[in-house]
Amino acid sequence: MLDALVIAAEGADGGGSFLVQPDVGLMLWTVVAFAIAAFLLQKFAFPPIAAALDRRQNMIEESIESAARTRAEADEVLAEYRERLAAAREQAEAIIARARKAAETTEQETIAQAKQRREELLEQTKRDIAAETRRAIQDIRNEVADLTILATEKITRKTLGEDDQRRLVEEALAELDFTALAGDAGSRN
Amino acid sequence: MTKRAKIWTGVGAYLGIGLLLGLIVGSAGRDENFQPQNEFRLDVWVDLPGPFDITKGVVYVIVAVAITVGLMIYIARRMEDKPNRVQTLIETVYVFLRDSITRNNMDASMAAKWFPFIATLFLFIWVSNMIGYIPMPVNTEHPITLFGIDFPTFQIYAATANLSVPLVLAAMVFIGYTVEGIRAKGPGGYLKALVPAGVTGPMAGFIFVLELFSNILRLISLSVRLFANILAGHLIILFMAGGIAVLLGIAAIAWLTLPLAVILFIFEIGLIATLQAFIFAILASIYFGGAVAQDH
Repeated sequence: MLDALVIAAEGADGGGSFLVQPDVGLMLWTVVAFAIAAFLLQKFAFPPIAAALDRRQNMIEESIESAARTRAEADEVLAEYRERLAAAREQAEAIIARARKAAETTEQETIAQAKQRREELLEQTKRDIAAETRRAIQDIRNEVADLTILATEKITRKTLGEDDQRRLVEEALAELDFTALAGDAGSRN
Repeated sequence: MTKRAKIWTGVGAYLGIGLLLGLIVGSAGRDENFQPQNEFRLDVWVDLPGPFDITKGVVYVIVAVAITVGLMIYIARRMEDKPNRVQTLIETVYVFLRDSITRNNMDASMAAKWFPFIATLFLFIWVSNMIGYIPMPVNTEHPITLFGIDFPTFQIYAATANLSVPLVLAAMVFIGYTVEGIRAKGPGGYLKALVPAGVTGPMAGFIFVLELFSNILRLISLSVRLFANILAGHLIILFMAGGIAVLLGIAAIAWLTLPLAVILFIFEIGLIATLQAFIFAILASIYFGGAVAQDH
């Protein structure tokens, strides 16, 4: 302690040399204190801080990654949705087109059917008329034959065999032209 | 009036008022007994065996270590995922120390190894500097006597305002990076690497001596830069806050110097305290990096 006192005395004498004179005691204390500080900080302070920072960094990285993932997923879903929407629209258009086509076809078919039906009816009517005409002519013919037989009977008072007579009438009638009647009936149609 | 003219007018007026005050009030006699630097003397407070006497500086070192360790562990044990302001500040400092100071200047394995040392250096110097600006009743040089008992008066003191503390820290840095350099390159290789690549012939010998000296002088530059900055800051605050008035015996002059003391105080605590801690830590880091780097 004598040294310190000597230095102190020198200092008090007016100089400031003690300011730049290293003090062994303080140096030793500093070494010890610093070593303890470094040890304690390294042991108890820095690891938790580093861990917390790492944890936060991981958290941030994870959030960013998860955000990116979510974004990608959303994009995917959106793309899919758009695709589906487009497909649905396409489908709808196809359906409409098909329906329109079907309607047109049906319309045409209906028209065609109606036409056909009308023509069939017309045909049928023609055939009916023709048949009726033929029948009427046949009736007339039969009537004429019967009347002729009757008349002949009345005139000749002689009865031929039914069959003979009929054959004769038929022959006579065959020479008659009924075609004018038939033709008349045909032209009426 | 131009800006320059305004400034010079202001300075002139300031000095003029100072002179005028001196002439009007007059000196009450210069105080020859007042030795402001003695406030920074390491008076023995507790006498312990060997060199382990408790002095003002020792108390400041221990308090600085206690605050550094206590604060850091307190924060470290309460790390939240959503940080509050204090935690954010400590985290910012930690990341700055880890990335900007350590990892930028060393390779990854060296950075991992020496980060605790560099970080402790910065934090210890920073806390030492900061608490050095808190006025404390530690001035036993100029005690105030009440009821026959000497009470210490308030002063601002800092462990780093004493050469011993920065010198020890610089010595640790010096030994640390020298050992790392020798381990990386071998004793011969380390010395050889002091000469920059490309220098050959007799010039190499000259450069080697120069580099060796500059290397050893880092001990002085590193420690004196810190010590002198802090001591000068404390002394100039002391002078401006009244020291000049006492020395000159012109009490009125303190009215002029006190505002300067306030400005300097803010400047010191806002910039110098942190800046010097940063410079010390980053230079230490650069020295470590340079010692193991393959190309000098």
